[in-house]
Amino acid sequence: MRITFGKYLTKLATKNKKIVLLTGDLGHGVFEELAKTVGERYINAGVAEHNMSTVAAGMAYTGMMSWIYSAAPFVTIKVLEEVRNDITYHNANVKIVGLGGGFDYGMLGPSHHVLQDISMLMSLPNIKIYAPAVAEDMIPIMDRMVKHSGPDYLRLTKAENIPINFPAFKAVRNLAKGNKITVIVLGSIIKDVVAGILPVLKLNKIDLWVVCEMPFKIEQKLIESINRTKNLCVIEEHVKTGGLGEFISHSVVSSRLSIKRFTHLFATGYKTHHYGYRDFYLKENGLDQDSIKKTVTKLI
Amino acid sequence: MKDKLSRNLREKVLRLAASTGTKYPHVGSSMSCIDLIIETQFFQMKKNDKFILSKGHASLSLYVVLNKKGKISDKQLSTYFKEGGLFGVHPPPTFPEDIPLATGSLGHGLSFACGIAKADQIIKNKARKIFCLISDGECNEGSVWEAALFASHHKLKNIIVIIDKNGFQGIDATSNVLGDAASQEKWKSFGFNVIQCDGHSYFHLEKAFKKISNFKNNQPSVLIAKTVRGKGLKSIEGKMESNYFTLNNENVEKYLKELE
Repeated sequence: MRITFGKYLTKLATKNKKIVLLTGDLGHGVFEELAKTVGERYINAGVAEHNMSTVAAGMAYTGMMSWIYSAAPFVTIKVLEEVRNDITYHNANVKIVGLGGGFDYGMLGPSHHVLQDISMLMSLPNIKIYAPAVAEDMIPIMDRMVKHSGPDYLRLTKAENIPINFPAFKAVRNLAKGNKITVIVLGSIIKDVVAGILPVLKLNKIDLWVVCEMPFKIEQKLIESINRTKNLCVIEEHVKTGGLGEFISHSVVSSRLSIKRFTHLFATGYKTHHYGYRDFYLKENGLDQDSIKKTVTKLI
Repeated sequence: MKDKLSRNLREKVLRLAASTGTKYPHVGSSMSCIDLIIETQFFQMKKNDKFILSKGHASLSLYVVLNKKGKISDKQLSTYFKEGGLFGVHPPPTFPEDIPLATGSLGHGLSFACGIAKADQIIKNKARKIFCLISDGECNEGSVWEAALFASHHKLKNIIVIIDKNGFQGIDATSNVLGDAASQEKWKSFGFNVIQCDGHSYFHLEKAFKKISNFKNNQPSVLIAKTVRGKGLKSIEGKMESNYFTLNNENVEKYLKELE
């Protein structure tokens, strides 16, 4: 996704002279073309994310559209106050791009993972949050970000092929139809969900949805799905508090939908403090393909 | 003329602070930087220049100056510290032309100034100056130095930092907390043109700004202004409590007399 991001931003910035990219000293192999093409509008702001975030707000004040880029925790948790006070409070036209949502940075360890970004940013005003499911989502999402004159957050992860048909980008998409359970998944962990439940996906038991934009309005078809199955399961590579699960459960209660079962698979953190690749952490958190398969199969 | 303006606006600060009957308006800090704001806003800024009050707790000084300039009406200003009012102890985001950033948490203003100046540099808007008033205590914040590095490296020569160096911070003298974070040496070593002067003397302030405009290099500049917390209120000048005393309609006359 990051390569797509770099390439498409170059294209956008070539057309739109108001676009400026500030990186927190990250993006080797991503921004070389952009730097050559847009000159001064590519800025390596250094390992100084607090300054970078507010500089972006200052540039937006003059009418520029500032994009800031770094590892996801460094443009969310680390600079939450700058994002709150200088960006979202002022509805500044700043686009925050966080690399490595969830456990994506694997072996680099917890300092580089981000499991709380959605909840923190969802608590702020004016901001839209995007968690692409597949690489093909990047262009439509970036087009939406350019169109929206205000703050956005893009949670980038590694792109993987998914062996099912993906409809064109929407905030909420139905990927498979079924009548026993409604499974709603946030962003790119959809790959692991699909890999886990692929054998049962053809049995028309799982109504599978992927969410890539928050907050969102629950569409009628999703309501119908929940009403039909009354069996709801939310899966996200994010902590329980303030993520997709809580958003959906709140929507279910406020829409007075009646369900029989609510299951939430979410990140709980670090049990052993041992290191591993992303799959290791997913396993520790019960979010790996096998765990998902077991949980969902049991719920059908 | 400037001294009279200064005296009158100080009176306005005191009356507004007294109308709250609380210690929240940070009178001491407002008094230490009001001459800097007057000199900058009335005599240095040109039409499109921007002023950012990074030490947002001294907002009263900015409000009364903007009121005098006609940017904030009397009616609007009368809502200060009132339920549902337009102005609180820290500046609002609702007057973006004259208050570009709603500050309050220290260490944000200079980065914001850098953003404006950098955008101007990119679009070749050379004429505009960006003034940013910070405090010496605020120089404790790491983000101030991140911003200083940025301003210097990017040769943002249109940035003029004004440091209200009153020697105090929250609850102690700066020398007892982290030392002199607003020293000439520190700012020089970060690549700034540095000028120091008495922050309550309009004669010296005017000369200092003149010197800054005469710098021929492309570096940002800093004016380190030596000030006194609570300046003008003889009984509490230069004292810690000048920022934390309660003004009300009963005791305000006593302090107003001290301004004479």
